[in-house]
Amino acid sequence: MNINTTQQQLEKINEEYHYFNKLCNVQTKKTGKLKDYVISVKDALCVKDVETKGGSAILEGYKPLFNATVIEKLLAEGATIIGKTSQDAFGFGTFSTNVGNNMQIPLNPFDKNHSTGGSSGGAAGFTQLAKKKGIKHIALGESTGGSIAAPASFCGVYGLTPTYSLVSRYGLLDYANSLDKIGPIAASVKELAMCLSIIAGHDEKDATSSKTSIPDYEKGLSKPIKGMKIAVIKECFGKGIDPAIKQNILETIETLKKQGATIEEISLPTTTEYALEAYYILAMCEASTNLAKYCGIRYGRHEKLEGNFNQYFSKVRSHGFNKEEKRRILLGTFARMSGYRDAYYIKAAKVRTLIIQEYKKAFEKYDILISPTMPMVAPTFDEIKRLTPLQHYMVDLMTVGPSLAGLPHISCPTGFKDNMPIGTMFIADHFQEEKLLQIASSIEELNHG
Amino acid sequence: MVNGKFNSDVVIGLEIHFQPNLKSKLFCSCATKAETKKNENSKDEPNTRTCVICLGMPGSKPMLNKKALDYGLKLGLALNCSIALELIFSRKSYFYPDLAKNYQISQFELPLGKNGEIVLSSGKKIGIERIHLEEDPASLVHPNTIHDSAYTLIDYNRSGICLIELVTKPEMRSPEEAREFLKKLRTILQYLEIFDEQTGVIKADANISIKESGYVRSEVKNITGFKEIERALLYEVERQKQAMQNNEKLVMDTRGWNALTGKTTRLRTKETEADYGYIIDPDLVPIDITQEMIEKTKRGLPELPDEKIKRFITKHKLSPIDAQVLAMERVLAELFEKVAEEIDPILAAQWLRHELVKVANYHKLALDQLRIEELEIVELLSMVEKKEISDRTAQQILSLLTEKGFSPRQYVKEHKLTIVSDTKELEELCKKAIAESQPAIDDYKAGKEIALNNVVGKVMKYTKGTADAAKVKDMLKKMLR
Repeated sequence: MNINTTQQQLEKINEEYHYFNKLCNVQTKKTGKLKDYVISVKDALCVKDVETKGGSAILEGYKPLFNATVIEKLLAEGATIIGKTSQDAFGFGTFSTNVGNNMQIPLNPFDKNHSTGGSSGGAAGFTQLAKKKGIKHIALGESTGGSIAAPASFCGVYGLTPTYSLVSRYGLLDYANSLDKIGPIAASVKELAMCLSIIAGHDEKDATSSKTSIPDYEKGLSKPIKGMKIAVIKECFGKGIDPAIKQNILETIETLKKQGATIEEISLPTTTEYALEAYYILAMCEASTNLAKYCGIRYGRHEKLEGNFNQYFSKVRSHGFNKEEKRRILLGTFARMSGYRDAYYIKAAKVRTLIIQEYKKAFEKYDILISPTMPMVAPTFDEIKRLTPLQHYMVDLMTVGPSLAGLPHISCPTGFKDNMPIGTMFIADHFQEEKLLQIASSIEELNHG
Repeated sequence: MVNGKFNSDVVIGLEIHFQPNLKSKLFCSCATKAETKKNENSKDEPNTRTCVICLGMPGSKPMLNKKALDYGLKLGLALNCSIALELIFSRKSYFYPDLAKNYQISQFELPLGKNGEIVLSSGKKIGIERIHLEEDPASLVHPNTIHDSAYTLIDYNRSGICLIELVTKPEMRSPEEAREFLKKLRTILQYLEIFDEQTGVIKADANISIKESGYVRSEVKNITGFKEIERALLYEVERQKQAMQNNEKLVMDTRGWNALTGKTTRLRTKETEADYGYIIDPDLVPIDITQEMIEKTKRGLPELPDEKIKRFITKHKLSPIDAQVLAMERVLAELFEKVAEEIDPILAAQWLRHELVKVANYHKLALDQLRIEELEIVELLSMVEKKEISDRTAQQILSLLTEKGFSPRQYVKEHKLTIVSDTKELEELCKKAIAESQPAIDDYKAGKEIALNNVVGKVMKYTKGTADAAKVKDMLKKMLR
């Protein structure tokens, strides 16, 4: 592809859809598995010398001195990095409407009045549009509580959130370090598998990075799913779910049955009841410490130096952070203060352990768990405005469970409601990405997007 | 403590930080010291020993320096602490310009070591509450004083350097006890070889209260160096006592120590404890501390001062005080052990603890800065032991030996310093001295005993100090009878 045409094309797309916070053109070599691909990168990932701000105004003008490990790996395979995709500031959101002050909200490629989902909204939106325009493209997204699956579902593309620790987080702007995962968003399962093969693996720069051996994910794609034991998470089909989505998932289940998978129902009461609360407390506690460094002294936004340092910090942070960033900093700080720490932070950590145990027990019996990715199709911006912050957080009900447990999950497009895509989510045990890709591949023909 | 109340006149607790002698920082590979090139003074340019990790750049992640864990384990075991099963780090949040991330990676929940002790010579145990590892913040640099500078500069060279923090229980009852505690700690650090006294910094925050005030405590922050800590404690106890005598009311406060004026001054009154909102650092996975690691570290520990003192007393029959003085200085203790294999341990102990220390003081050097070759010392002291040379000769040679190397035996031979033990020769010299000292002899005969020293001195002069003065005196007395 002629790179100049692409640049112009990208600028035009961006004017219309706001998928990029920054466009760039970084390539180090022209050979490798990705030599024909352009790669978009969520703004939360460091690309050397390219403005990287995690979607937040507080980091305006910040140019990292180094590439994230995943970026190094993609460049080594001949990829061209074309830009930093828009997102909720620091990943704080499900609709990409909490973008940083003075930034633009990405628009759904199917209907501009609808959200792309978030927080990797620009990544998923552009993936769908690039597919429509015939651009060979893979997006790198990042998920803390569902930020890959949610936008993939709303934009009708594939999003894979790997097992926590499978992909190095070195060079990722932290939201909640014990939950953050980098993963690919693509128009096909094969592209997901290819990208995961490249970015997975131990990194000596990230202490949490796993030393597990990495299989060739592309190889297993065509393996039949006959005999696979699948369980449908009962609680995910109760109150609050769009009936059209329920119907679509039942159809998907039929397709899987036809291919020889056995389907049963499972109940995950602890996860359903407590995952959301535990997730938000842990995520906000960690986030509030991560965002403390953004105070206008070292990185990003600066203001005129006036007053004492406390006054200066406060001024920079008041102007730089948006409402949701401030909300999470305050809640997170509160929840880890002595007196509340045991009741919130420590308790949430204990709940997390129970939830992991519940999933682990399920995986003794089943290969895969199924749920909708989101309880609704992409809402309009008007609908989102009417949500309270609590309702806003409730939308993440399906994705926070696996996120909290560090389990790999994949969102696959499986149909439409009123021309807006529906996503089905598959969850596997730790490091069982092969099974996820295998099952996603087996239903790929259902995707008529 | 009785019923949770202290019942002594003075209560002191210390929080001690020291920088272990590691080559790289706690979570990155940046150097802890400026590189010294040959023929060049080490010049530490600000912000040159930094990287994305110790600057807390967005996206960077800390990686543990495993050697820091080894050092922490060594100290924990040497102080009889119980060791945690896991090494866990926490984020301690506070906003300050010298803190790159606005949180400091420290330990909170599960300190590496806890419930240890140091035993004072009286047998009293001072409890160690906890020992943990943490990173140092950067340093703030003011062009003038902190009050009249128009701006503040930040040097991140120190940011991320490993510190070991040791917190005592409030069990010291006087500045003197605190001094002994610190001296013992210093010796243990010497033995473990985890602290470089020449370049490393030791700092303390001290909590001090007195009975008269009902134990309202002041915290004196950031006192640097062993000697200063004791000075600050002495001052602060006195200040509090004076205040009570003057009917002033003491309030909880945080104070600074000014080494120049020798006074503490109030920085702020303390109404509440700071709330650091600790969470486990999710970037650093917990590291299992296995029984195997603990055993291995234990086996690698050197014999520590207390055991050494006991062994010196039982094996070498030293007096408790000799044993203690030697054991409290690693250099002396090690030298003693080697020398004691060849010559009488009691003689060796006397010479090392008195004469060698005197030489060091004379040269204004620390013991480990002296040039000491054990073989030379053995050669020298064996001549003393066999009474081949006089004490005075030996003292002179010892002083020279610490400056440059040579064979003491050869030296004695060349300079003819062997004790004159030939009685005939001595008698001749005594006669000569008597002949030349008529006035003194008259005085002596008139009953002035002391006048004889003059004559002895003459003989010593003839023999260049190599004669046995007592023997000469006896000889003179006999001859004058």
